[in-house]
Amino acid sequence: MDVIGALDYTVGFAVMASIYAMFALGLNVHWGFTGLFNIGIAGFFALGAYTSALLTTPPPDPALFEDFVFGGNWAGIPFLDLGVDLWFLLALGAAGAACGVVALLIGYATLRLRDDYLAIATLGIAETARLFFLNEKWAANGSKGLYSIPQFLGDLVPPDRYDYLYLVVALASLAVTFVAVERAIKSPWGRALRAIREDEVAAAASGKNVSRFKLQAFVFGAVIMGIGGALFAHHVRVLSPITFDPLLATFVIWAMLMVGGSGNNRGAVLGAFAVWGIWAGTQFLPGVFRDPNLRLFMIGALIVAVILIRPGGILGEERRVTRV
Amino acid sequence: MTEPAPILEVRDLVKDFGGVRAVDHCSLEVMPDAITGLIGPNGAGKTTLFNLVSGAMAPTSGEILFRGQRIGGMSMDQTFGLGLVRTFQIPREMKRMTALENLMLVPAPQIGERVWASWLMPWRVAQEERAIQARALDALKLVSLHHLADEYAGNLSGGQKKLLELARTLMAEPKMVLLDEPGAGINRTLLRELSANILLASVERDITFVVIEHDMQLVMRLCDPIIVMAGGSVIAQGTPEQVQEDPEVLEAYLGGRRIGAA
Repeated sequence: MDVIGALDYTVGFAVMASIYAMFALGLNVHWGFTGLFNIGIAGFFALGAYTSALLTTPPPDPALFEDFVFGGNWAGIPFLDLGVDLWFLLALGAAGAACGVVALLIGYATLRLRDDYLAIATLGIAETARLFFLNEKWAANGSKGLYSIPQFLGDLVPPDRYDYLYLVVALASLAVTFVAVERAIKSPWGRALRAIREDEVAAAASGKNVSRFKLQAFVFGAVIMGIGGALFAHHVRVLSPITFDPLLATFVIWAMLMVGGSGNNRGAVLGAFAVWGIWAGTQFLPGVFRDPNLRLFMIGALIVAVILIRPGGILGEERRVTRV
Repeated sequence: MTEPAPILEVRDLVKDFGGVRAVDHCSLEVMPDAITGLIGPNGAGKTTLFNLVSGAMAPTSGEILFRGQRIGGMSMDQTFGLGLVRTFQIPREMKRMTALENLMLVPAPQIGERVWASWLMPWRVAQEERAIQARALDALKLVSLHHLADEYAGNLSGGQKKLLELARTLMAEPKMVLLDEPGAGINRTLLRELSANILLASVERDITFVVIEHDMQLVMRLCDPIIVMAGGSVIAQGTPEQVQEDPEVLEAYLGGRRIGAA
């Protein structure tokens, strides 16, 4: 591979890693700081991606045997453009809002359950979302999926260099999310979340309304995941339900947080780049090492190695020494 | 002079766990600004009574009134909001938070506990944090734990965790504190410090205490009046002297030996 090709590849890799880092931050809010055992990330991933894609793509064309009934075509409405593709921000916001509303409803119903029941509930909801998009063809074209999802500022750069522009978009989104999460977690709000993670009963005895804080954290993390899903949709530009299988849309993200360091936002981002680096990088290995199952095995081996050597992850949670 | 109204009234309270009746038609009154001792043999229902009053559990039947307001069935954060705080028999600290953070958590309401506050008004949050931190450091000094302010609470010794729990209740600026065996597992030196702190808080901050304790020397020195529970209800109450001489107490509690004689 020549230098330009290698650079192109690295940029494409960094875009995906940045998007995954968003999910790792969202999961950090859920699990790392609040102790909410969400193993249904794929549900919010899919919901965010489909929301943004359906709102922005053109209406379906019956001549192409498209089955879905709604395409918002925001990208084609001049009013939502203003020359700077304003629709993109609106679509990200809508994806985040959709996930936030769903998290509010799910959270209200399930957050009073014990940890392990919340895990089963989130897993079930993620599968429900995937099967909904697969079977309800009117909603999102079923297994044929959505394609030609519009690009943000797509006419600004040549198509083969578009990833360079999108890397800036992804990194900017990641930076804003990182600062927002970091500030919130270091504030008294985050202190209450960590107290709930440590001991719900003691947090209640310290006067904290445990279910309200848990619900806020669940919604906040879900909004981040929804925005991540939208960023993903406008990057890959093709969505089908198979994209959101639990392996690549839930457990890889858990691996990222565990490796990088649960309870540490820098760790979450580092873990996303490290695990995605191994996942993507191992496809260049010669012969049998490229086998997908073996690559999965290597991710597993990495998690085990990190947990054995550094149980808190590479960076781990830091002790807060607050001396204002 | 009229008799002051009780700060806490428990009327005909019952709590069943399956077939076991842990609290059995229990009625008692706690007067304000006193340190009331709550003693009784294991299984007398003392901790269950604390759980019912603090809101950790809902009663099966009966009434609990705190400053005239019905609180039976409220949650713990609600009773906390009314000024009623409790500690736990086995300390429940936030292990992976520092001792200081454990205390800074407590004051309520905090502006910074709104999720958007750190984004929209960080300066106000920082200002509030400085004030809360100063109070938390004072509370740590009071229980002689200030040298451990930045240590994870999970790394403190058992006795230090008990002191941290006491400091936590003081951070709440409560009207009434329920202490569940504050002296358990604490050595003599720390114990003197602990009872001095309870006395000080009672006098200086007008806090009403109810103390469950098995260390009879501590109870007799610290508490007046004393309420004796057995079998889920109150069998005697009065001054330490009255309780020690009460034949029913001696029978139920110690099988005849004089309390405190050890």
